[in-house]
Amino acid sequence: MADFDDFLDQDAPASVPPDSDFAWPAKPSVLGTRVKRLDGPDKVTGRAKYTFDIARPRMLYARLVRSPYPHARVVSVDLSAANRMPGVKAALVWKDPASQNNRVMFQGDEVAGVAADTEEHAIDAARAIKVEYEIQPHVTIEEKALAGTAPQVFTGGNVRAGQPQQSGDLAAGFQAAAHVIEETYATQVITHTCMESHGTVCEWDGDKLTAWISTQGISGARENFASALGIPQANVRVICQYMGGGFGSKALSVGAEGLMCAKLAKAANAPVKLMLDRKEEHLATGNRPSSASRIKAGVSADGLITAFDAETWGTGGAGATAGFPLPYIYRISNRRRAHKDVFTNTGQQRPMRAPGHPQGSFNTEIMMDELADKVQMDPVEFRIRNLPPEAPNGMWASYLREGAAEFGWNKRHATGDKTPGPLKTGMGVSINTWGGGGRGPARAHCEITSDGAVVMRLGTQDLGTGTRTLVAVITADALGLQPSQVRPEIGDSLSGVSPMSGGSTTAASISPGIRVAAVNALHMLKEKVAPSLNASAASLVASGGRIHVQDDPSKGMSWADACKRIGPQPIVAEGDWKPNMSSSTTSGAQFAEVTVDVETGIVKATRILVLQDCGLVVSRLTAESQCYGGVIGSLNFALFEDRILDRNTGQMVNPNMEWYLLAGMSDIPKIDVRLKDQPERGVIGLGEPPTVATAAALALAVRNATGVTMRSLPLTPARVLGALRQSKA
Amino acid sequence: MARKDESQRGFSRRNFLKTTGVVGVAAEAVVKPDEAVAQSSTPVMGPGDVPVRLNVNGKQIDLMIEPRVTLLDALRTRANLTGNKRGCDRGACGACTMIVDGRTVYSCSTLAIEVQGKQIRTVDGLANGNQLHPVQQAFCDKDALMCGFCTPGFIMASVGLLEKHPNATPEQIKKGLDGNICRCGTFTRIFEAVSSVKGGQRG
Repeated sequence: MADFDDFLDQDAPASVPPDSDFAWPAKPSVLGTRVKRLDGPDKVTGRAKYTFDIARPRMLYARLVRSPYPHARVVSVDLSAANRMPGVKAALVWKDPASQNNRVMFQGDEVAGVAADTEEHAIDAARAIKVEYEIQPHVTIEEKALAGTAPQVFTGGNVRAGQPQQSGDLAAGFQAAAHVIEETYATQVITHTCMESHGTVCEWDGDKLTAWISTQGISGARENFASALGIPQANVRVICQYMGGGFGSKALSVGAEGLMCAKLAKAANAPVKLMLDRKEEHLATGNRPSSASRIKAGVSADGLITAFDAETWGTGGAGATAGFPLPYIYRISNRRRAHKDVFTNTGQQRPMRAPGHPQGSFNTEIMMDELADKVQMDPVEFRIRNLPPEAPNGMWASYLREGAAEFGWNKRHATGDKTPGPLKTGMGVSINTWGGGGRGPARAHCEITSDGAVVMRLGTQDLGTGTRTLVAVITADALGLQPSQVRPEIGDSLSGVSPMSGGSTTAASISPGIRVAAVNALHMLKEKVAPSLNASAASLVASGGRIHVQDDPSKGMSWADACKRIGPQPIVAEGDWKPNMSSSTTSGAQFAEVTVDVETGIVKATRILVLQDCGLVVSRLTAESQCYGGVIGSLNFALFEDRILDRNTGQMVNPNMEWYLLAGMSDIPKIDVRLKDQPERGVIGLGEPPTVATAAALALAVRNATGVTMRSLPLTPARVLGALRQSKA
Repeated sequence: MARKDESQRGFSRRNFLKTTGVVGVAAEAVVKPDEAVAQSSTPVMGPGDVPVRLNVNGKQIDLMIEPRVTLLDALRTRANLTGNKRGCDRGACGACTMIVDGRTVYSCSTLAIEVQGKQIRTVDGLANGNQLHPVQQAFCDKDALMCGFCTPGFIMASVGLLEKHPNATPEQIKKGLDGNICRCGTFTRIFEAVSSVKGGQRG
């Protein structure tokens, strides 16, 4: 569990010497500008090929058989009928009844798979696989697990208590308090629901495997395939040119589905495509764990939180943890926290966009407004009062003040809108942080040929964040070109090793190496050009599509002419991540306004203001898009998403997209994004920070509107009406 | 043409029930297969592959597919038209949105055999060579896409909307695109993009 004080103080500004060629330019040409996404035309025309779109000669389609029960022992699996079905080429058992690994631990746990000539035949054949289960008692309700009234399923118990964390003097803290509150806050399990499901196309050539896979890490996927299949990494090529959304669930492994695809392809001696369907996505490819906190907190009359005592828990599914940072960001000297992981017979959690932070934020921020009301302080001032000292990576106080002014916070009424009629409006505020630092190896290769073409090649991947565009922007900026003149080559493990895209680390990891490679290549080009210009290579610069003497722009030549001097052997230069061109930890604040219809319980978000930093902004247009996307993701978490389990059977009742609710166009509020530039800090990731705070800000706006505190999510009409009714009783 | 449609629809329904095996018995309760055959002059087709002729993006495509194959799957897996995507496969996410005879449809929930003789438009055929359709261009200009998987569906839904309402109001745009889901959260910019296209032109 992260202690925020720890990382708030350890940050150092980017410190590549400013006179170094590698240092980020003081006056960038395209860095930080609004560059259109390079692959936009491929995506809007349907030309972009995702894993789901890959077709290979003789390709088969695979389907899996999954447990319908949350807990069972697999007694037998009979493939014979399936093997006789039309078009079937291979079938395999994943949960071998004869092995130790013959238990299914959640609805959707993999049991068997089959590959056939068409998807329809594969579906038929999967239905023909006969599985006999011995149903076991299950635990899917957290409360029962905690109360000890559920069947004992997991070795060592259904509940695992962690070491309590404590600092300061709790008793003294409560003594110093003028008011004490005791409340329970909670968030629900949600699923990643990537638009492109998890899936793979595997093709063998002898013992060499080519895998197209919808993944957040081609390098990791290569390792994963090689070790699980017992072949050298050199025999595995992983390709992911385009992927339809990655929010953490595609980051850490190729999954059982990836390995089953490879094994079916081997057995059938033909390429196999295995794309999961929507139900499988909800059940088996990860989720954001639930969270709950029973908090007793004390506040002094002048608004300082003096004590914080929390018991927390959550479920990450079958044997997986459910941690989250608490208290979130605010500095509370006297505190204690005891956490329990609750194991349930549900699909295992996987990292989901800012793992832990949305939960920590919600569990903390609702309490903040309850405490602020106790001492009759404005929520913005109350937050500022309890923040750690301001630092480049902790700018919350400034953002809160600036945001309050822009948002019209002074028009916010006290808790409970007194306007007559059913429509009540309210405002809420919340803050966020995230690491997002870079790391290597992230080797970039720059190639310049005599025709002037520039290729920047590296083994990273674009989840949709705009990585491909970022590669071109940084390269073009270093070479004095336009991004359209650079060809980024990514998404293929043949291009080298780069880190997995998770934790908002991609931009900070790959940007330094790209710049270093481009600058190194430019050095080599200057050497070739210098003699023709009667100048030293050191006196030359590249700008505006020309190479020229720095002090005399007329003394130079066009990029095309310069490259003609390269000769038949292209310029090839490399670069890798350097520690001081990126840094870590962002801060942000978000303000939300809602209208609540107290007769229907419908919450309508009307306005969101985002203030967010991410160090040096590389590509402003796509950076803003990350903020919009983060806000909308968090709005979904706040208002709509919920993995609902049947209380008796433990099965998910809404494993689809019509009852697993997500926002549509009519649900989107006006969103204003203020990117706070900190170029001196180098590149920092932005994928996750903006998706943390919105949910709490919305819930607090509902509280401000209705006068009723919503202490758990989602804020569905039924739950809002229930809370309103309860408050009247 | 209409009559052909009708007769084929009758058979496709019967074959659909038969091949999926949902219910031989229930099917008989509704109409006995023999009677259905007797009522029509067209020979029985299925339950295996049957000929299906589609008009997609102005081109004729002849396929041999099972009657249960959806329009989306027929084009994606048999005609290499992979632009439109399968997100939910049950008409909830809109990634598969195509335009059939001027109306937007969820192609994942439309049988290919049922849209014979109709004009089918997919995202693959929207651009004129390298000349993007104004809606496509607007999506690029406004960064109205991230991962891009929902984008083809949004584009077709937007085109369908703007062909019906060339000067769509903000409310019409919101309602017109409510049948599409984007998980990356590009709604704000999709709204800007579609709003910027007026009368089929960029404003």
